[in-house]
Amino acid sequence: MMIHVKMLANYRAVLPPGAKHGMVELDLPEGSTVYDAISRFDIPLNDESVIVLNGLTVDLNTPLKEGDTVTAFSAIAGG
Amino acid sequence: MYGWHLKILRVNLTTRKVSTEDVDPKIARDYLGGRGWAIHYMYKEMDPAVDALSPENMLIFATGPLTATPAPTGNRYMVVTKSPLTGALAHSNSGGEFPTWMKRTGFDLFIFEGKASEPVYVLVNEDQVEVRSAAHLWGKDTHETTDILKAEVSDDARVACIGPAGENLALMAAIMNDKHRAAARSGVGAVMGSKNLKAVVAMGNKNPPLHDPEGMREISVGTSKNVGADVKKGSNMRIYGTSYVPQVTNTLGILPTRNFLQGTFEHVHNVDGDALKNQYLVRHTPCYRCPLSCGRLTEVPDGPYKGKGEGPEYETISSLGTGCGVSNLAALVKANYLCNEYGMDTITTGMTIAVAMEMYEKGYLTETQIGMPLKFGDHDAMIEMIKLMAYNKGFGRELAQGSYRLAEKYGHPELAVTTRKQEFPGYDPRGSQGMGLLYATSNKGASHMEGDVAYEEVFGVPVKENPLSTEGKPELVKHFQDSFALIDSSGLCVFVAIRYVFDKNRLIWPQTLAAMMNLSTGAGYTPEEVMKAADRVYTLERMFLIKAGSGPEWDVLPYRMLNEPLPDGPAKGMVAELDKMLPEFYEKRGWDEKGYPTKEKLMELGLPL
Repeated sequence: MMIHVKMLANYRAVLPPGAKHGMVELDLPEGSTVYDAISRFDIPLNDESVIVLNGLTVDLNTPLKEGDTVTAFSAIAGG
Repeated sequence: MYGWHLKILRVNLTTRKVSTEDVDPKIARDYLGGRGWAIHYMYKEMDPAVDALSPENMLIFATGPLTATPAPTGNRYMVVTKSPLTGALAHSNSGGEFPTWMKRTGFDLFIFEGKASEPVYVLVNEDQVEVRSAAHLWGKDTHETTDILKAEVSDDARVACIGPAGENLALMAAIMNDKHRAAARSGVGAVMGSKNLKAVVAMGNKNPPLHDPEGMREISVGTSKNVGADVKKGSNMRIYGTSYVPQVTNTLGILPTRNFLQGTFEHVHNVDGDALKNQYLVRHTPCYRCPLSCGRLTEVPDGPYKGKGEGPEYETISSLGTGCGVSNLAALVKANYLCNEYGMDTITTGMTIAVAMEMYEKGYLTETQIGMPLKFGDHDAMIEMIKLMAYNKGFGRELAQGSYRLAEKYGHPELAVTTRKQEFPGYDPRGSQGMGLLYATSNKGASHMEGDVAYEEVFGVPVKENPLSTEGKPELVKHFQDSFALIDSSGLCVFVAIRYVFDKNRLIWPQTLAAMMNLSTGAGYTPEEVMKAADRVYTLERMFLIKAGSGPEWDVLPYRMLNEPLPDGPAKGMVAELDKMLPEFYEKRGWDEKGYPTKEKLMELGLPL
């Protein structure tokens, strides 16, 4: 299934060049989770990152559906 | 004494009489400093029901015991007064250099009362205090005013001043210091203008002695190291300042868009931190001695929006940008420069124009009334409106009263997204429930800075909370409100305190803040005492609000938030569920079910009954 991974602000640096507006597509097997998607990228997977599924706060073990967007950004900040 | 000078400067602008006063050490301790001391004096000395633009209002510049110390970001001051926009308290915070220079005059607080017979400025150079004519400055913008005053007084002086907006009593007028830093919200600039006070100039060498200078140096160096480590890993605050935040709030569907008609903006990429960094960022710039350096020095080199200055910050992007449906970044940057030069709060300015845009698009306001078409996204018309608001001309006269009065006057109060008549900042409470409770119960009207639970609901600092849930939010909001009252009273900046003083275990906040207060003052606070003092400050402010006619009946959210579900994004279909949180909030605060502090609570805090 195709899902999107979106990186915000400084996390965009871990994406391949040319990723428009910090977004890439991944083709993952059915049953893959948020963790499966996001662990492919060189970002911390602890409290230093905020990882949301379609903008919602979820457990990293949440299974993905076709067309989902997993977004990650650094928690080392605020505003 | 340590940390605090325990000295107040009073200037009666009517009589031009200048006097100084010692602060009772018990009051100093019980009310912490800064914002806490200010409410103590206001409650004691003024009638909360007075007109905020009358000579009877007190205008207080308040530093804390950590201002002008090596404490990390010990460089802030609060402007505290009764707000002409909200009828409640104004707590406007600013950094830059002026607050440190002010503390170095040897006074913790400046209290301005009365009204000068013609425009004046006040010079404070340690014990040399003069009320001088500002006839040559009246009408000038904040940048020109600052340059002239530094030239005529000293390059070693720092300036806080108003521009034409404050002179013309616009209800969103700000007090600008060091040209680009703003004590912005709630019309504090209008209060200053109503007193014919154009500027305050501060200089001196009276650094407050510290109780434990070595301990303070240690904590400062330690924090700088932690900040440095984060910057090395990659800190958005250093790279983008707050301008990266639209990407976050857009992702969560809580980015104010077209007067809160939506929670996502289809052109967010045109106005976010990456766009700013790639096109107009010159470099980051710090407030005095801050290791984080989150400020933005920017420039639009040519074209119709040519200019330079600092910003825009997130709250400007979400109001003058997405809030107005504006996607032209150069125009937005220019609008921000104009607000700094005229001395205007960008949030209220932007969201008032946004309401006017919606009214125009719906036919509730006409082109004849406004003087030109005013659709969402029309950045040139928006810039025109800013100029008219600053100079109280044409339709600017209407807009200068803020969105609440505008919407009411023209028969559509349901369009103003305000609490206590103050416009919401950049977090839509329909998708960030705790923020809704915060806006409704803040002592300064809708504001994120009175206890910014967005840190947890949105940013994951220190931990990520679910923004769509109301569970646990009453306690969270109370804890943040008290913590921010403590930070505001201490003289620190939230941006470093929130991340480097706080810990995953939120209980550590009071410990570290108490420790820093003790290193400075030697007051021997326990963590419980500082939080109780913060509660005391918050509750006394509440008592002021009640007497001012801004009591529990104003603990409400506006029509759109309660009745119009978000049409898009992750929070689609949601409204703000204030009724699920407010009763429990009152309980957590120790107030009765109507929202009044109980006799027991007042006695517990040692407050007058």
